[in-house]
Amino acid sequence: MDSKSRNATLIVGLTIAGMICAQAETRKEMHFKVGRHATVSITNQFGPISVRPAVGREVVVTAILASDKVEVDQNQRGSRVDIFSHLLPAADATSGQVSYDVAVPADASIVLHATDGQLRAEKMRGDVDFEEASGDVDLRDFNGAHVHIKTLDGPVTLTNIQDGYVEITSMGGDVVMNAVNGPMVQVNSVSGKILYDGDFGAGGEYVLTSHTGDIEAQAPAYASIDVFARSVTGPVVNDFTLEPEHTPFAIKAGSAFAGTVNKAASKVKLLSFSGKIHLKKR
Amino acid sequence: MTCEQFQELLPEIGGGNRNIEYETHLRSCQECWGLVSDLNAISRQAPLLQASEEPSPQLWNAIESVLREEGLIHSGRQQPVLVLKRNPRWNLAWMLPAAASVLVVLGVLNYQGKIHPVSTESTPTLTANTVNVQDRPVVTFSAEDQKFLTAIAFRSPALRAKYERGLRDVNAYIRDAQQSALSDPNDEEAQRYLMSAYDQKAMLYQMALDRFQ
Repeated sequence: MDSKSRNATLIVGLTIAGMICAQAETRKEMHFKVGRHATVSITNQFGPISVRPAVGREVVVTAILASDKVEVDQNQRGSRVDIFSHLLPAADATSGQVSYDVAVPADASIVLHATDGQLRAEKMRGDVDFEEASGDVDLRDFNGAHVHIKTLDGPVTLTNIQDGYVEITSMGGDVVMNAVNGPMVQVNSVSGKILYDGDFGAGGEYVLTSHTGDIEAQAPAYASIDVFARSVTGPVVNDFTLEPEHTPFAIKAGSAFAGTVNKAASKVKLLSFSGKIHLKKR
Repeated sequence: MTCEQFQELLPEIGGGNRNIEYETHLRSCQECWGLVSDLNAISRQAPLLQASEEPSPQLWNAIESVLREEGLIHSGRQQPVLVLKRNPRWNLAWMLPAAASVLVVLGVLNYQGKIHPVSTESTPTLTANTVNVQDRPVVTFSAEDQKFLTAIAFRSPALRAKYERGLRDVNAYIRDAQQSALSDPNDEEAQRYLMSAYDQKAMLYQMALDRFQ
C-alpha cells in the first residue's frame, strides 16, 4: 500500500471513529422560565460547567452527555431550577461526563457542585456558590456579587470582580485574583499559593490566610491600605514604605510587618504559618 | 477502670447508669472525656437533622457491612449512644455535619481552655495524634478521621487518596495552629489561624457529605 492509500485509509478510519463518538454523545437542551433573582443549581460529577448571562428571563441549559451511562435530571419549583447529572451503573470518569453550557439571567444566583471538571462563570451580578474537588474554577467580570468557593485541590482564578463579597476556602489549589475588590475578600488556604494583584479598593477588608502556601500581593503605589503581615516560620518581604502604627505585640523584623500606605482606606491582613509573604509594589 | 472497660460500658452508662468508678475514670482520662463529649454533642445535634433526607436502605446495609468487616461494629451488640434509638443504623447523613460542627466548636473551646485544662504535652483527642520522627512531626488520623475515610473509600475509592491527603494537611494545620495559640493566648492572629484550620476541616467533611448524600 502506497503512502496516499495509507493516508486515505487513516482519514476514513478517523472519520468513522469520530462518527461513532458523535453518535454516542447526546445533546439535551432545557428551557425554564424564571422570575427575578432565580436560583440555578447544577450538580455534575464529571465534566465542565460554563455559565454566562442570558437575555430575558429564561434559563437555557445545554447538556452534552458523553454516553448513555449518564442521565440529566431536572426540576423546577418557581424560580428555582435544579439540574443533576445522574450516573448509571458502570459509569466512569469518561462515560459519566456531562458538559453544561448554561445561560441564566444576570441577577440569578448560581450553585455549582462538581467533582472533576472546570467551572466557569462570567458577567454575572447574582451570588455564586461553587464547590469543586479537582477541576479549575474560573470567574470573571462580576459586579456586586457574593462569591463563595470551596475547593480541595483545584486552582481558582478570579478576574475583575468588583464590589464583591468574596470567600474562598481552598485546601491545595492555588488562588489567583486579578482586579478583585469589595467590602470583604477572604481567602483561606492550606497548602495552595494565594496571589493577589489589584489595588485593594477603598474601604474593604482583605484577609488572606495560609498554612504552608506562599502569599503574594501586588498593588500599585497609590493603593490605600492598612496592612499587617506575619508568617510564623516563613519569611516576609515588603516593597512599600509603611507609616508605622501601633500593634498589640512587638513586630519581629523578617517575620512580620505592619503599617499604613496613603489614607489606609482598606484593611489588609496577610497571614501564613510557614509560607513566604511578599507585598509587592507594582 | 481501664479505657477499654469504660468504652465497653458506654452504651449502659449512656442510658443514665453512671457510678463513681465511671465518674473517676471520666475525670482522669482525657481521651474518654473527649469521646463522651463528642457523643453527647452529636446526640444533641442529631434531632435537629432528622428532617434531612434519608438515604436508601441499601446504602445503610452496605455501610453496615463495611463497618462490620472493619471490626468497627459487632453483631448482637447494642451500638453506643452515638446511634439514635429510633434508627439503629449508622446515619452518616447527620453524623458528618454534626461531627464537623463539633470539630469546630471543640477546637475553639479547647483552645480557650473551657472544657478542661490543656497541657502543652497533650493535645485534644479530636485532633490528629502526632509522633516526632527526626524533628519532623508525622500526623496520624484520629478514629473519627479513619471512619470518615472508610466511608469515602466505600463510596468512591478514587477519591479516598485525595481526602486522605487533605485530612493529613489540615490536621497538620490544626496542630500548628494549636501550638501557636497555646504559646501565646493573647495572640489574636493565632486564634484566627485556629479558626481557619478548623474551617478547613469542616469544609472537608461537608464536601464529602454533599458529594455522597
